[in-house]
Amino acid sequence: MSAIPVALATATGLGGAGALAALVVPHRARVPLVGALTAGVGAAGAAVGVTALTGTHWSAEFPNVLPLGGTYLAVDALAGWFMTIAGAVVTAVAVYGVGYAAGRPARRPAPECRAPGPGVPGPGVRGLGSRGAQAVLPLFALSLLLVPVAASVSTFLALWEAMALGSLLLVLADHRERPAVRRAGVWYAVMTHLGLVLLLTGFALFAADAGGETFAALRAGAHTLSPGVRGLVFVLVALAFTSKAGAVPLHTWLPRAYPEAPDPVSALMSATMVNLGVYGLVRTGFDLLGGGTAWWWLGVLALGGLSAVYGVLQAAMASDLKRLVAYSSSENMGLVLIGVGASGLFAAHGDRPQAALALAAALLHVVNHSAFKALLFCAAGSVVRATGLRDLDRLGGLRARMPWTAGLFALGALGAVALPPGNGFVSEWLLLQSLIHGLRVPGVAVAVVLPLSVALVALSAGIAAAAFVKALGVGFFARPRDERAAAAREAPPLMLVGAGLLAVGVVALAVAPGLFADGLGRAVSAATGPTGGGAPRGGGELGVRLADVSARMSPLWVVAALTAATLLAAGLPRLLARRRRRRVHARLWDCGGGAPTPRMAYTATSFAEPLQRVFDDVLAPEQDVDITPVRESAYLVDRVRFQRSVPDRIEHRLYEPVLRGLDRAGRAARRLANGSVHLYLGYGFAGLVVLLLALTTGW
Amino acid sequence: MGLLRKIRATGRVAEPAPPRPEGGVLEKARELGGSAQVRCVDAGSCNGCEIEIAAAFNPLHDAERYGARIVASPRHADVALVTGPVTRNMAEPLRRTVAAMAEPRLVVAVGDCAIDCGEFAGGHGVEGAVADVVPVDLTVPGCPPEPEAIVAALRRVTGR
Repeated sequence: MSAIPVALATATGLGGAGALAALVVPHRARVPLVGALTAGVGAAGAAVGVTALTGTHWSAEFPNVLPLGGTYLAVDALAGWFMTIAGAVVTAVAVYGVGYAAGRPARRPAPECRAPGPGVPGPGVRGLGSRGAQAVLPLFALSLLLVPVAASVSTFLALWEAMALGSLLLVLADHRERPAVRRAGVWYAVMTHLGLVLLLTGFALFAADAGGETFAALRAGAHTLSPGVRGLVFVLVALAFTSKAGAVPLHTWLPRAYPEAPDPVSALMSATMVNLGVYGLVRTGFDLLGGGTAWWWLGVLALGGLSAVYGVLQAAMASDLKRLVAYSSSENMGLVLIGVGASGLFAAHGDRPQAALALAAALLHVVNHSAFKALLFCAAGSVVRATGLRDLDRLGGLRARMPWTAGLFALGALGAVALPPGNGFVSEWLLLQSLIHGLRVPGVAVAVVLPLSVALVALSAGIAAAAFVKALGVGFFARPRDERAAAAREAPPLMLVGAGLLAVGVVALAVAPGLFADGLGRAVSAATGPTGGGAPRGGGELGVRLADVSARMSPLWVVAALTAATLLAAGLPRLLARRRRRRVHARLWDCGGGAPTPRMAYTATSFAEPLQRVFDDVLAPEQDVDITPVRESAYLVDRVRFQRSVPDRIEHRLYEPVLRGLDRAGRAARRLANGSVHLYLGYGFAGLVVLLLALTTGW
Repeated sequence: MGLLRKIRATGRVAEPAPPRPEGGVLEKARELGGSAQVRCVDAGSCNGCEIEIAAAFNPLHDAERYGARIVASPRHADVALVTGPVTRNMAEPLRRTVAAMAEPRLVVAVGDCAIDCGEFAGGHGVEGAVADVVPVDLTVPGCPPEPEAIVAALRRVTGR
């Protein structure tokens, strides 16, 4: 008997036990116990994933568990890849969450929240530490792990919905403290259910035409579908999945929900839930629908390119720390979608090795993104917990006050900017390799799209560097711009341990990506079929070797060389200077005019301003200068009010007209329901007649 | 090419170097080794001394040939060239400027006002002479001092 069912049963049992424990165990023991059980869920899930990545398959059916279709489960390497990521992240974040939810915070929440009275308990009782939220947490973690296991449409949709509801409840955990959480919750609920409707429609169409709802039946029946239906199914399903992945234009829930969710939940959502959007797309597009035509994947590629650049631009403009990190998710999922789209494009043109390489780049970026994004959200969460502030313009000076958190955030930021020695660099290098070498694939579309994608990837990497230099430099260095930032204290040890586990993952991915190459190769071939030597392999010295395009890279050596150079540059002057004279501490040179106040320091807004000018036409920032003169003279200024905001332009142009239209339709529909019982009876009767007519005509 | 031609046509305009000033090099300035970086501080001057300092560094007097050079920050400077009576507003900045300079550092008070407040002695905005605020190593009398006198004082610092 294989280890997979045992581990799956363990995970399910632990998840159920965690939910139960949260409901019955008193507050003091609740958080640690639920945290431990959730970490167990994650570990068991990761064990399933790792087992699947070694090449073990497992499938089972339980016809009587769910009504209608029954439950079908299957684990292959592709599912294993996503389960491993989710399991690892869940374990680390569960540890972090214990530290987060237990006890009182170092500082009270921000004053824009309702000021808590002396008797109001800290977030240990409210928010994530509350009984309800703690009960949902292990179930949400479990659903994250089980979605890739589903092997029939009804099972998949049930788990998908469980995941959506679980995340929604957790996003709303802080709704009593901050009204903004409720608005974010409504946006998230609507968007995620819009996605579910699209998914339901797409899969229903697919299952009806393929003659079965298990994935095996869909796989077998996919080629019997007409091209039009296949295309429609793909468009519907792809829209739903890219919305879950946070890709433009269905991304609007993401920058709202992530900043308002409790920080461990943000980490879980951004590092595991968005991945499942990619999983769904790969599973449906490659595996179930069996590839497809080029225009599907050109569409995915276009969405990816758009999200990558738009997401990172918004991240560079954001002055809210968590919003910045959230928009960066949009960017990275865009990069992943570029890889997935390019892979589909190559497969549609029949170049399997190239397709495998592009998909491998995308899947590797998924795991890299999960690692550094979870770390970034954990570090940002520690900052928010210690200061009650998310506004970068008010933070600052945290490096001295929270050295560990600052170091962890720096490590995550290094991964996010896609520069060596960060882990994001490895997968973006792979992505660029696959795009550049993809030019050998014939076709006009390929020749036009690939160079453009390369340019978009490069542009997004550049802007990401600006965004994270801003987050790190303005948020952690310099001087505190607010007394709450000045009074910050280091996060409790358990939070640091949880984030530290993620940091270990980030470093492993950055230094030795070759360790993951075999599993990656299996995951890719599970999705696309035999890869023909295109997927990357582990090189000799922990590097990555691309057999097909004869490229190789050893990040370990890059890291070693960079570290040596940095140490040399920092150490040599000190060594030389020591021989001469002792150092004297002098006061900061302030041009003689007195110490500069923190208000004179560079803020996040001013750092982003030049970039905002460059992209003025794209971002369309709104600026408002309001000058009030004194009453006696128009020339003497009494007060100047300056307001600047960079609105989400897609939201303005796309969503507001739709929302206005809906509002108008709702008002118009009120005339139909004027309170007359006779009219309502008439509606019922008319509906019945129409239905009977439709049935008799055999429509 | 116009510039090069102009340089060639103009030739050297600096006056021949006068003999070394009396008194020799200051004891404290020996460590500078013949090179002094100078930061000017206007502590409340009428700008007469500034004009003369500018003249001391022009091509005619060319103080730079003796190793003195004007710099933009006290962090880079060895010598503070202070002019004018020290006003109340400039007393603290002057102290900070001198404190910001690395050791060994010298303060040269240029002009009568810097030495004893001159015309402005007893003014309500005047804190005092430069020596009342920071220790002075060298003085250049005159109202304003001639550029030759300023150059001579700087030569006593550089020793060239």
